[in-house]
Amino acid sequence: MIDRSVQILLGKELRQLGRSRGALVSATLLPLLLLVVVPIPQLVTLRNLPLDIPSMPGGGPPGLQSLRGADAFVLLLYPLFVTICGMIVPSLAASYTIVTERERRTLELLVALPVRLSQILVAKLLSILILGIVVTVPLFAVTATLVVILGAASAAEMALVLVPLGTAVVCSTCLSLLLTLLARDFRTANNVNGVLFFPVLIVAAGILVGVGGSARLLVLGAALLAIGGVAILAGARWITFERYLE
Amino acid sequence: MASALAFERVTKRYRNGVVALDDASWSIPIGARTCLLGPNGAGKSTAIRLIEGALRASRGNVTLLGVEPDTPAYADARRRTGVVPQNPGMYADLSTVEYLELVRQLYGRGDVGRLIEAFGLGPHQRTMLAALSGGFRRRLLLAAALLSEPEILLLDEPTVGLDPVAAHEVHELLSEAMKGRTTLLCTHNLAEAEALCDDVVILRAGRVLLHEPLAALRGRVAPRLRLRARQGAGPLVAALRRRGLAVEVEADAAVVNVDGRRAAPELLRDLLGQGLDVYESVPLEPSLEQLFLDVVQA
Repeated sequence: MIDRSVQILLGKELRQLGRSRGALVSATLLPLLLLVVVPIPQLVTLRNLPLDIPSMPGGGPPGLQSLRGADAFVLLLYPLFVTICGMIVPSLAASYTIVTERERRTLELLVALPVRLSQILVAKLLSILILGIVVTVPLFAVTATLVVILGAASAAEMALVLVPLGTAVVCSTCLSLLLTLLARDFRTANNVNGVLFFPVLIVAAGILVGVGGSARLLVLGAALLAIGGVAILAGARWITFERYLE
Repeated sequence: MASALAFERVTKRYRNGVVALDDASWSIPIGARTCLLGPNGAGKSTAIRLIEGALRASRGNVTLLGVEPDTPAYADARRRTGVVPQNPGMYADLSTVEYLELVRQLYGRGDVGRLIEAFGLGPHQRTMLAALSGGFRRRLLLAAALLSEPEILLLDEPTVGLDPVAAHEVHELLSEAMKGRTTLLCTHNLAEAEALCDDVVILRAGRVLLHEPLAALRGRVAPRLRLRARQGAGPLVAALRRRGLAVEVEADAAVVNVDGRRAAPELLRDLLGQGLDVYESVPLEPSLEQLFLDVVQA
């Protein structure tokens, strides 16, 4: 299971995250907007109106064919919002837990203790993952419940949307390891986050539009996990105390 | 005698090409109190980081209690070592007692309450680390390093940046903490080294220039004698030079390289015989600063 030192360090990270108002507010506000405030009016509108997609030669991309009414919300718009939120929350948390520690040189306090870099980073990544889940899943649950109550989709269909949410949180957490290598201060971290996430979001939008039916959510989940896996492998290959302390 | 810390032909080259340690070899036996001296950039902090396991040597071996950092037994050796880092950043969201509790949990032993009392941290135990004054930060770091009752103590510039009162308080705590412990004190402060250590390792440009007991180091420097005469330094210096002695002038005194206890009586008789009213003759103990400058500038 989880190493004892990692458990102790995880407790420290969660305590510090809980006390960081800036991290909590910024990690909650945007998901609140994207997962609850914006989607609900869209859902109500789409239930009553057909999605007006211009006809394209050959019927257009598979993801846009025969996409009408609430399906457009459940299979296209909401998964995109969910993916964006799943990516953003861990990246904000990483800026606080990983980059701030480096910027303020508090990492020196940890280096003086009997812990390895891998233990420090695993604890940080776990805390980021936990925050990502704790913030996004309850907000998702609010909208998902409403969708099911309104009869726009079944509980099983909404549960499938959890796939891109969960995998986006995991992917973004893994990308945080690259952030550890590349960003030495908070401002650079925000820029690096943008550079890392833009291509991922383009890929996500491409999959949602390019793949038809519910399978798009599974393909998107697989793609996010693959990106996260590559990030972890690259980070683990290059990260050392020397690079982190620089 | 078993080594507590050992560097065997260690080279550390950073990614930017800077060579911090260059084929450096030295070791500290268990129980020794050794001072690591050197000018800025000599490789002192790199040496500490290599022992901590935070850096890897580019070449050669570093061992802590006979164990290399990449081996499974290193974690245990590390838990037997307390470290006071050099002027680290301080958490704005962890209090004194929470940080010490974290340290206790990671070392797996220690009495936080006793250390808080012993280091006078009681009134500040709920204070966030970043809000502590410089002196209390050092007390906290020292308390954290000693919490697990370690056998080895690594001190990286423990008083740098402190005002004289706070530095004096930390010195008193250090001299108590170092009793019975193998200690490596990395410092610029020669008076601190002289007061707290028995052995000296001097580094320059990553190389070990010297490693020996402080007493032996003193023995390497020629004894000196400071003389003052009522007539002033001029006639005194002239008389000494006529005897073929190399003389340094310090304000109104003349300093000569002679063994004061052996040569002073005959020298004084001669000077008095020449009509010089010599009223002071003091054999000088070479200061560590002088020894350090002699070695580093040689």
